[in-house]
Parts: sequence; C-alpha cells; structure tokens
Amino acid sequence: MIDHSCSCEDNPLIPKICVVSDVIEETPDTKTFRIQTVDGKKPFLPKPGQLAMISIFGVGEAMFSITAQGEDYIDSAIKKVGVLTEALHSISPGQKIGVRGPYGNGFPIEGLEGFDLLFVGGGIGLAPLRSLIRHSLENRKNYGHIDILYGARSPEDLVFKDDLFENWTKQPDTIVHVTVDKADAVWDGNVGFVPAYLEELAFQPRNRKVIVCGPPIMIKYCSESLVRMGFDKKDVITTLEMRMKCGIGKCGRCNIGSKYICLDGPVFTLSELDDLPDEK
Amino acid sequence: MKLLKKDLKEALRLISDDFELLLPGEGSGVSRFALWDGGDIDLSYGNTQLPPKDILFPHTEKMYSFKCATDVEVTEEAEAKSRIVFGIRPCDMRAIECMDKVFLEKGFTDSFYSRKREHTLFIAMGCTNPCRTCFCDSMGLTPGDAPAADILLVESDDSFEVKAQTQRGKEIAECFGRLLTDGKVQVSKVSCALKTKMSDDLPEKLSGMFEHPIWDEVGRACIGCATCTYVCPTCYCFDISLDNHGSEGVSFRCWDSCMFSDYTRMAGGHNPRPTKKERVRNRYMHKLSYFNERYGSALCVGCGRCVEKCPANLDITEFIDKVAEVRL
Amino acid sequence: MNDIETKLRETVKRLLADHTVRYVIGWEATRFEDKTRPAFISDSADTDRLVWNKYCVSSLAKYALDEQHSEGKIGICVRGCDSRAVCRLIEDKQLLRENLYLIGLPCDDKEMNICDTCTHRNPVIYDELVGEPVLERQADRFAMVGLMEAMSADERYSFWESNYSKCIRCYACRNICPACNCRACYADQERVGWQGKQMNTAQNQIYGLTRTYHVGDRCIECGECERVCPMMIPVMLQTRKMLKDINEMFGDYECGLPDGRAPVLGEYTLGDADDFM
Repeated sequence: MIDHSCSCEDNPLIPKICVVSDVIEETPDTKTFRIQTVDGKKPFLPKPGQLAMISIFGVGEAMFSITAQGEDYIDSAIKKVGVLTEALHSISPGQKIGVRGPYGNGFPIEGLEGFDLLFVGGGIGLAPLRSLIRHSLENRKNYGHIDILYGARSPEDLVFKDDLFENWTKQPDTIVHVTVDKADAVWDGNVGFVPAYLEELAFQPRNRKVIVCGPPIMIKYCSESLVRMGFDKKDVITTLEMRMKCGIGKCGRCNIGSKYICLDGPVFTLSELDDLPDEK
Repeated sequence: MKLLKKDLKEALRLISDDFELLLPGEGSGVSRFALWDGGDIDLSYGNTQLPPKDILFPHTEKMYSFKCATDVEVTEEAEAKSRIVFGIRPCDMRAIECMDKVFLEKGFTDSFYSRKREHTLFIAMGCTNPCRTCFCDSMGLTPGDAPAADILLVESDDSFEVKAQTQRGKEIAECFGRLLTDGKVQVSKVSCALKTKMSDDLPEKLSGMFEHPIWDEVGRACIGCATCTYVCPTCYCFDISLDNHGSEGVSFRCWDSCMFSDYTRMAGGHNPRPTKKERVRNRYMHKLSYFNERYGSALCVGCGRCVEKCPANLDITEFIDKVAEVRL
Repeated sequence: MNDIETKLRETVKRLLADHTVRYVIGWEATRFEDKTRPAFISDSADTDRLVWNKYCVSSLAKYALDEQHSEGKIGICVRGCDSRAVCRLIEDKQLLRENLYLIGLPCDDKEMNICDTCTHRNPVIYDELVGEPVLERQADRFAMVGLMEAMSADERYSFWESNYSKCIRCYACRNICPACNCRACYADQERVGWQGKQMNTAQNQIYGLTRTYHVGDRCIECGECERVCPMMIPVMLQTRKMLKDINEMFGDYECGLPDGRAPVLGEYTLGDADDFM
C-alpha cells in the first residue's frame, strides 16, 4: 500500500481529496459548490467547458461541468437528480469530497475569438456555459458583442441570478435575455420557451458563434431554429451528456459511435454531431 | 530452438521461482487460466471457456480504500507481481493487443492495467486444432502465429519449437538453457472450420448502416444477459462502485456489459440505448466498426466464445455474412 | 425434415395468411446442428425457416414481453414448459391470453437432463396442437434435491460456495426466466450497500439466494436458468429445493398450470404450516 499523498497524482482514476469551502443555493434544487484542495488551492486548471468527476466517499461518483474558476477554487453547480446529487446537496462547507479531472475537450476558446457570441442556455444548462461566459467577459477585448439568452421553467428555477440580473448586464456590449416557461405573480420579463424566444429575437448569423446548452429537447429545437435562421452548423456549438464512469475514455459507456463523450466531447459543433450516429 | 514435450514441466519449473505461472486449467467444470500448481500440464485445451483477460483486467479490482468517519484518507492499491501466462492462444494474444490500445493509449494511461501489463509475459501456443466455433482466420489472424507474444511455441508430436519474439522472451528462453536443442518444427497450415465474409471494407460499410433495418431483426433473440461480453477476450467495459463497511470503504471497478439496460441509463432516467436493438447494435458496431475507426483494428478476434456460449445462439459470423450481402 | 416440422410450417403459414397473428415465435436453424435460435416469423414466405427438432430448447414465452402492449396477436410455439411460462406471465399480469395464439407442440425428444424430470410434456394450454399428444411420464422432480439434502450443512455450504465462486454475474439465469419479469430488477439498483456489483463469492451467493427466493414459488421448472448458465452452476437445484419444501409444507404444488391457483407464498390460510417459525 502506498500513501496517497505521494503517488496517486499519476493515477487518473484516484480522486484528489478536496474541501467544499462554500455552498451557494441557486434554486430549490440546484446548489453551487466551491471546491478547493485541503491546503486552499485550486484542484486543477480547467479550460472552460471541461468536466470534473466529483465523489462523496462512501456514496459514489459522477461527472459534472465546472461552472467557474477563480485563483484558488473551482465551482460546480449541481442539480439534485439522483442518489449522489442528493447526498451532495446535504453537505455543508468544510466537508471533504473527492475530485478528479479536468476531463473533456472544453470549448474552443481560441476559435471563438473575434466573433460575436450568442449563448443559449436552458435550466441547469447554464452551468457549463457560465465558465465560457466568464472567460469571455474576463477577456472582453478578444470577443465582439455578447448576447446571453437564458430560460428556466419558472422564475425560482433561474440559476445564477446575481450574474443574470447584476454582474453580466453591467458588462460592456453585453445583453442578457431571460425567459421563463411559466411566470409567477411578480415576474415581468419574457414568458415562453427558449427556442421560441430565440426566433423572436432574430439574431443575425453574420460573424456570430452560438453556444447552446440545456435539456436535449431544447438543444434539438434551438439547433433547428438556428439553422433556419441561417447559421452555419460549424458555428453552432453544444455539449452532450452521457452516463460516465471513468472519464478517461476507457470504461466504454459514454460512446456515441466511435467517439467517447468524456474524452472527445462533451463539446461538439452541430456539423460534428451530424457525423455521429443518432443515439443521444 | 526446440523443447521436447517431456521436458516442458522441467522448463516451467526453471522459471517458476522468478515468476507466477498462469496456465490453462479446469476447476469445477470451467476452464480458465489459473496459477500452476506444479502438476502435469494439459495442453488439450482449445480456447478456455473464460478468456485470459482477467489476468490484466480482473472481474473485480480494488482501486483504493478510504476512511471517512472523521477525516478522509485514501490509500491506493499497488500490485506488481511478475507473471508469465503460458499457453495463451493467438486469438487471446491479439485480444491483449486490443486491450493495450484501450488502456495504454489515447491520452490517459490506465495505471491499474499498465502496472500488471509491464510485469506480465506471454508464452503463446500456436493452434493446431481450432474449436468448431473458431473463426480467427476470417478476422485476419493466423491460427499458428501470435506476433505480440514474448515467446511463441509451435507444437509438433513430441516437441515445441521455441520462438523468442521479444527481448524479454529471449531472456526467458535462456532460462530453459540445456533443455533447448537446435532445430525447427514442421507444421502444416491450420485453418478454421467456421468461415465468415469479413472484409477490409466491412467496418466502413457498417458505419453507414446505423439506421439500416438489419438491426430490427439481428438482436431480437437476445435475452440481454452479459454472457457474450464476459466470455469475450476483448470486451473491456467496466463500472466503478463502492463497498462500504461502516465508515471505511473500498472503491473498486468491475466488469460491466453494454448488454445491460442500466449500462447507459442516466441519473434522470433517460437512456440513449433503451432496447436490446440499440444495445446489440452498439456491441456489433463496436466490435466491427467503431473500434476500427478509433484504434485501427477490429475488436473481434474470432475466438468464437460468444458463438458457443450465447443462450439464444446469436452468431456474429452470421451477422457479418448478412452485412456482406447487404447492398447499400 | 419431420412430419411435425412440416405441419408446424403449414400451420404458421396459415395463421399469417389469415392474419390470425402478427408474427410467430418459434425456432430456426443455426450454423451448428445442435443449436437452434428463437425465430420471429412475420412473413409467410419465411415459414420454412422454422425447425422442430430435439435442439429446440430455448424458452420462447418471455419474448412476447418485448411487445407487451402492442395491438394484435402474437403466435408462440409452446411445448409443455413454454405453455407453463405463458401461464406464469398471464398470472403475473404481464400478458393477456387474448393477445396470444398458442401453437402447441408435444415434446419428448429433448436430451437435456432437466427434461428427464419433466412432468408436462404436452402443452397445458394451447389454441391448436401440432401433432398428437405424447404420454406423460412419472418423474421424480426432486431426485437431485435428495442428494443435496444428504450432504452435511458444511458440505452443502462448500458445494454452493464453490459453485457461486464461478458465477460471472451475467444474469442469463435471470433474463431467461419467465418468473423473473420485474420491470426493474433489485440487482440493477445502483445503491451502495444494496446488491453489490463486485464479483466475489459472497455477493454472488447473495444474488443466487435472492434470485431463488424471488422465483421459488413461481418457478415453472423449465430449467432454462441452468441451461443458459455459462459457468454450469446447477441453478435449478436451488429452486427445486424450495419447491420440494413447499410441496412438503403446503401439499402437492406445481405452478404455471391453468388452475387459477395463486403462487403459494403469495397467499395465506389459517391452516398453513408454521412449524418453521
């Protein structure tokens, strides 16, 4: 037996012990977890759009997108859907968890430079987009006009409300469009599904790249809308989700055709998706 | 160099101090590779019922243990015994080459596999008498040849020709010393009885057949068990799970099968492969097309175990022939 | 080709031609003389694919679950055991009798050990019979159980321990079994501390025991669990032991018969034996 601290760095399947230093409640079923190493550092250096395998010892392990990163932390916003995520939602700051990664290809940040960007997110789908939105705002001069279109089922289901209504709206040449499927008594914003709002806002394809992330059905309709609006499939980027176990392209289950989503994805352009079998 | 069959036991004894020896054997009616007990060596096994893949990729393998009562502490299991696998067949040797590609290439090295692989040598035995379900020569293999093995033994009536094929193989052969005599063994060409119309362009043809109606029929008799994948020498899919005892526990990985319905089912309930049609399609495509696309060779080595063992008698060779006849 | 096979093909051709059934589940030849495969015949031009010989051993009834909720009748070739499997699935509310057309095939030529102890060589329900009924034979269903009971507790434990050490957890025994028709199996629940996925003797034994108890009083004794086991574990022996105990405690009992009797462990009467409690 080898002491963990000295050898496991080389073994991609052994998690690094980290600490949840803060838990932020986003919506009734979504929380953001701020993760640091035990000595207060950043667990690793992810690219926007990359993934982390997060485990609670004794409960299990699953793959999540990294929503943001700072000097000494990474954030992951996680929705409660199963056994592990339920356990995650019950932890409090200071608790130790396992983290390994970063995994996946991430967004093609250089390929987006010089373009106007349109982010289209639905529900928890804003989580992976947020890492790229933050990157583009931090490197504002490298990108053109930025539009962020985001929708959720109801106003209370909107994640990252501070960003949506405060931080991002204050940014230069940046517009945030928010919609909800169903309004509540105080909501005075747009009501309607994301794909419908997308068509209504009638974005022009010229010199613009689109990054779409959300439930599969939303991605499907938004993609169709964007193609109808004249966007080239090479200019529309999305992320896929499959069940994953190893995260390093070995365990087999996340394949679509000959591609492994954990390694070759999760980020694909629509034209790349056209080359994959329809098995999502 | 030649080794007389009557000297084989003595030869293995010479290397058994430095290596764990794994040989084909039978226990409770199931043939598989097992530790040599120093007894008589039975060379009559064709393909063992269970493939030797578990030597490098065990059914269940401890990854690390942890304590989580007050503080988390993770300890990794390290294992590195030097082993020699004796009597592996050319098909199973090719299967190890496939697993090497998966576990050692494409960005990440799987440490659990690589540690075992580095310390394992293979003495292969060319086939002289293929089983009735063997079709390796249709899959591009030569039954008498195992190029990736450290040593290849070519069997004749009373002796083996010992062909050291790697540096490590040469070192092992040197241990046999005085037991080896000069000479070669003449063998006639062996061919499999079961033939299938596998061709170089079939992988690409199949990749264009994802939506073909052939899939509606091919998997219909499948019962969705994991027999084909667990007796397959190349199937490498695994699951990762936990075994808890109070506040301590172990994380392990174990074989998993793309034939199981829960294999791809996500936490929210969505399953991209909801019925056996999609699951059988994925298995056959993986064997005959996807793997070629990713790693440049088929993931089927023609050992015939799945043909022999499938409870519903699905037969990948019949499938290949059907695909060969499809006109697109 | 034998007479029954010819008649079977004619029957299926007629049933497809007059739209009595959408398709028929039977057996077809493979590349090996001693192996047949379940076949699904929906085109009357394909009826010659059907075979009837001593190698027609796969249980067929459970395939009807693949189209459980479709309109129209499915034809199934049923031997005694298949017909009992159909009864099982009807009793378990998985299939509706009116959605099935059962082509009965009396059967006494199979060469499997399990068939030696068969007590229902003729289908117990059918819509039409191909061929003449065969003689039922007296058979001691529990002969092998006697051998197991003769072992001491330690011997018995090591017998099963050694058998389950071989288990590779392929779940073929579960998937082939007409009594295993739960939509979601307990063994597939991904919860730590539940049935573990790790393959070791202890977990394998837990699986084997749980499976036996789940099907014990609903087993139709087709023996498919044992036939399909790639590791040759005598799976059926466990179920037979349970059935023997049930017979001793609750009187003569066979299930999968059209007698309307509920699974014995699913009902309670004041006169039930309780001396094991």
